[in-house]
Amino acid sequence: MKARIAVPVFPGTNSEEETLRLLRDCGGTAELVHWSDAAKLAAFDAFVLSGGFAYEDRVRAGAIAAHDRMMDAVIESARAGKLVLGICNGAQILLEAGLLPGTGEIRRPTAAFTRNAPEPHFVCRHVYMKLAVPPERSPITAALSEQALVPAWAAHAEGRLAATGEHLEQIVDGGHLAFVYAHPDGSVDAAAVPNGSALGCAGLVNREGNVLAVMPHPERDGWEFNHLQRRRHEDVLAPSGGSILFESFVKALER
Amino acid sequence: MANLRQDELERIAHRLGRGPSAVELAAFDAAWSEHCSYKSSRHFLRRLPTETLRTVLGPGEDAGILHLGTHDGVRYGVVVAHESHNHPSQVVPFEGAATGIGGIVRDVLCMGAEVIGVADALRFGRCEDLQSHQSHVARGVVDGIGAYGNAIGVPNLAGDVYFDGGFDENVLVNVVALGLVKEEQIVHSYAPKGAGGWAIVLVGKATDPSGFGGASFSSLTLDARDAELDKGAVQVPDPFLKNVLMRASYRAFAALRERGIEAAFKDLGAGGIVGCSGEMTGHGGYGAHIDLDRVNVAVENMPPEVIAVGETQERLMWVVPPPFVDDLLRIYNDEFSLPEIAYNARAVAIGVVTEEQRYVLHSKGRVVMDVESEFLTGSIRDELPYTEVIYHEPPQELPAVDVGGLFTRVLAHRDVCSREPLYRRYDAVVRGRTVLPRGAADAGVLAPIAGSPLGLALAVAGNPRYGRIDPGYAAQRAVLDAVRRVVAVGAQPIGLTDCLNFGSPRKPEQYGQFVAAVDGLALAANELGLPFVSGNVSLYNESAAGEAVPASAIVACVGTIGDVSVTVTPGFKAPGSALLWVGSRELAIGGSVLAELLGLEGTLPVIEYDAERAAIAIVGDAHARDVLRSCRAIGDGGMLTAVAHLAFGALLAGREIGAEIDFGNPLCEAGGFLCEVSGDGGVDVTGALQIGRTIDAPELVVNGTRFGVSHLYDIWSRPLEQLYP
Repeated sequence: MKARIAVPVFPGTNSEEETLRLLRDCGGTAELVHWSDAAKLAAFDAFVLSGGFAYEDRVRAGAIAAHDRMMDAVIESARAGKLVLGICNGAQILLEAGLLPGTGEIRRPTAAFTRNAPEPHFVCRHVYMKLAVPPERSPITAALSEQALVPAWAAHAEGRLAATGEHLEQIVDGGHLAFVYAHPDGSVDAAAVPNGSALGCAGLVNREGNVLAVMPHPERDGWEFNHLQRRRHEDVLAPSGGSILFESFVKALER
Repeated sequence: MANLRQDELERIAHRLGRGPSAVELAAFDAAWSEHCSYKSSRHFLRRLPTETLRTVLGPGEDAGILHLGTHDGVRYGVVVAHESHNHPSQVVPFEGAATGIGGIVRDVLCMGAEVIGVADALRFGRCEDLQSHQSHVARGVVDGIGAYGNAIGVPNLAGDVYFDGGFDENVLVNVVALGLVKEEQIVHSYAPKGAGGWAIVLVGKATDPSGFGGASFSSLTLDARDAELDKGAVQVPDPFLKNVLMRASYRAFAALRERGIEAAFKDLGAGGIVGCSGEMTGHGGYGAHIDLDRVNVAVENMPPEVIAVGETQERLMWVVPPPFVDDLLRIYNDEFSLPEIAYNARAVAIGVVTEEQRYVLHSKGRVVMDVESEFLTGSIRDELPYTEVIYHEPPQELPAVDVGGLFTRVLAHRDVCSREPLYRRYDAVVRGRTVLPRGAADAGVLAPIAGSPLGLALAVAGNPRYGRIDPGYAAQRAVLDAVRRVVAVGAQPIGLTDCLNFGSPRKPEQYGQFVAAVDGLALAANELGLPFVSGNVSLYNESAAGEAVPASAIVACVGTIGDVSVTVTPGFKAPGSALLWVGSRELAIGGSVLAELLGLEGTLPVIEYDAERAAIAIVGDAHARDVLRSCRAIGDGGMLTAVAHLAFGALLAGREIGAEIDFGNPLCEAGGFLCEVSGDGGVDVTGALQIGRTIDAPELVVNGTRFGVSHLYDIWSRPLEQLYP
C-alpha cells in the first residue's frame, strides 16, 4: 500500500489546498486532516504542515499550534522516524515544537523563525532556496541534485532565524542548515535574504534527517503556470520549479 | 443618532399610525441611509448596461456574476464585487481598511462561491511629510489590507495607488473581490419561492456594540473634530475567525448540494440583522419574525436596537428549510467549532420567514418592532437637483520637450514610481494559482480552476487627475484604462464593476459630477459592449470645509484567457523585435503626469471609440497570431513609462535587452499600447506605427538620448521606500 501523507489543518491554516494538490500532482497519496479529527493523524505515514496563521500568530508564530493536540501525533511520528515537512507556518510550528534543529527538548525550542528584520513587516517576494547540505543528508531532499536551487515565494512576517550564538554554532556544526536563500545564479549574499534570517537560513533539518522545515513556499511556484518567466505554450499544468522538493518528498516515501 | 430627516420621520410615524419605537427608529435610520438604500443614486445607476451574453447575474444581489468558461463540461462563473471603505479608513486606517476586505469577501462568499482574489484601488493624500496624518493613514490602510487579506489566504491580484492633495482629508479605499462558482451552484441572497416557514440562521461572531450606526455614519460628511467620536461606528475585523467561517461555509455549500436543498445566504453588511434579514425576506415577498433574545451576543444587556442594527463583522445569515437547520448548525458549531474559535461565535436559528409581509422583532417577550416589510426595505428615492458639468477647454500649449531631463522625473513621480514597497506587504501568491502577481504587469492573472488552463485577469483604473477636470471623461477613461490593462496581458475583457466615490448629493454641483460620471461609464461600457455586473456608491466624501474629493469613478475589468500558457509575461523578450505604438497618438496633454510636472494645462485627449475598438482588436489579433512578445497599456507618464516598464521586466528576468525608440513629443497620454512583436523588419501588424526596435543591450535610447536600464530602475524603484520602509 502506498504511504499516506497527512496535511493537518489548523483553524488559521490557509495554504492546505495547494499543498495537497501539489503532493498529489507529484504522485503522493495525501489528504487533509481537520483539527477536529486530530485522532486520525497517528495512522498516517508522513506529514506536511502547510502555511497560514495556525492560531492567529498573536504570540510568536507557531508557538500556540506547537501545543495543539494535532502536534502530539506529529511529534510522536517524527520521533519514530516518519517524514515531516513543514512549510512557512508549518516550519515555525516544527521549531516551536522543538523538533528542529533537534538540539533541545520537545516544546522547548532553541531556535525560532521570528519577526523579520530590519523592517518587521510581512514580505511577499520570489526567492530561491539553495541546498546547504548534501542531498542525502535528508530523505526528503535525497532526490535533489547537489547544486539544486528550489524556486519559491517568501510570504511571511516572521521568517528570520534567531538563536543564541551557541545554538547557531550547533546548527552549523550539526549540519542542520538545510537551505540558504540564494540569487537565481546560485550566489549567496545578504541581498538574497528577504527577512534578515541568521546564516541566510531558509530551512533547517533535524539530526536524523527526517524532519525538514522551510520558510518559503515552493508550492506557490510549483506548477509551470506559476513561473513568471515561463515560455509560451509550455504544458502549464505540469508540476515544475518548486515541485522538485515535493517530488523528492514523495520519492522518499516510495523507498 | 437618527440621521433621518424631519419629513422622513413624519412619513414613518404616519405609516405606523404611532410614534416609532427606539428599535424602529434605529432600523429605519439604517435602512433609509444613503449607504443602504442608494436613494439618490439608484435611479441613475439604471443607465448602466448590465446584460451581455457573459452576464450570469447582474446587479441586485450581494455580487454580480460573469461567465468565466467551461471546464470538463461544467460552466464556471466568476463572482465580482466592488466596495468602498473610505470613511472608516480615514478614521481608523488599519481596522477600517481590513474591514473593507472582510466585508467584500463575505459579499462574494455568500453567492456560494470560493473567494479567489482581491484587488484594491487606493487614493491617498500627498504624504510628502512622512510624519503627517495623511502618511499615517496611508501606512495604516496598507497594513490593514495586508494583515486581513494575508490571513484569510486570498491573493491580492491587482490594484492602483495615487497620492493627491484632493485626498488629504478623505482617503478612498476601494476593494474588489472575485469568487469562483459553478453556475448551477449559485446561492442567492433572497428567500426563494416556497420559503414561508423556513428558518433564519445567524452565523458568526457574537454580536457586540461595534458598528452601531455604521450605515448612517458612512452617509455623513466627515469632520475631523468628530472623528474620535465616530470610532465606535467602525467594526472590528477578525480574519482568523473569517478563515474558519469561509471554510465552514464551503462545507455548508457542499452539504446543500449533496441533499439537493435550495437556500439563501447573505452577508450582514450595513444595517446588521435587520438590514440583512429584512432584505432577504422582503425581496422574496415575505415577512420575518425574529427573536433578538436568541442572538449570540458578546456583551450582556445590550439594548435591542443595538442588537438589531449593530454592524459587528464576521457574520452571515442563512434562510434554510427546517430539515436542514440541524445540519447547518452542526457544520459551523461542531465540525468547525466556531464557539471554540472566538468568544460565543456560533450558528444559531433566530427566527422564521413568514407569509405575512410584516417585519417583526421580539425582545424580552415584547414586540419591539412591527412594520410592513415593503415599507422598511422598499427603495426610497431622493430626486435632488443637480448642476450639469461642462468641461471648458483651456488653450493647448505644446512646448518642445527635452526627454533627457524629463524621463527620470516621470519615473520618480509618485503616481508612476514602483508600488513594490506597498505591494510586497500583500500576499499575491497564496493558494498557488497565481499566473501574474500584482505589480508584475498591467493586470493580475490567476488560473482559478484546479486542473484547467483557463485564466482570469483583473485590473482597476480611475485617474483622479482627469476626475478633477471632467468627471464624465474620467469615468470613460477609467473604463478604457481598465480594459486596456486586461488586454495587455493577453486576456479578453468580459465585464466591469465600479465604485463611485463622490461628494454630497445635496450639493447640486457635486451631485452633477456623479451624474456625469454615470453617463460616462454607460457610454464607454456600451461602446465596448461590456456589462457592469456589480458596483458600489460612496457619497459624502468631503472635508470639514465642504471640499469634495476629485470625482472618482473607479472601474475594475475582468477578463478571461482560454489557456494561461499564452499569457503575455512581463518585459522585452528578444533583441531585434519591432516596437509598435497602437492607439491614439493625439497630442493633448490635459490631466497628464507630464503636464503636471511641467506646470501646463492643455486639453483632454479626445476619445474615439472606433479607434479604441480597433486598437484593442489589433493587440488581440497580434496575440492570437503568436507574434506579440510583450505589451504594456499606455497610461500615466505616457510612452516613457510604458517603455520603461518593458525594460524593467526584462531586467528583473535577467535578460539584457533594451530598446531604441523614437516617438516625437513624449507628452501624449491619450492611451493605447506599446507592443513588442516578432518579425524581422516586415511588421505584419496593420494599423500600428513602428517606433523602434529592441536591442541587445540593457539601454534605452529614447528620441536620441541614451539611458542605462538599471539606472532608470533605481530611480523608479526608490521613491515610496521612505513611506513604506
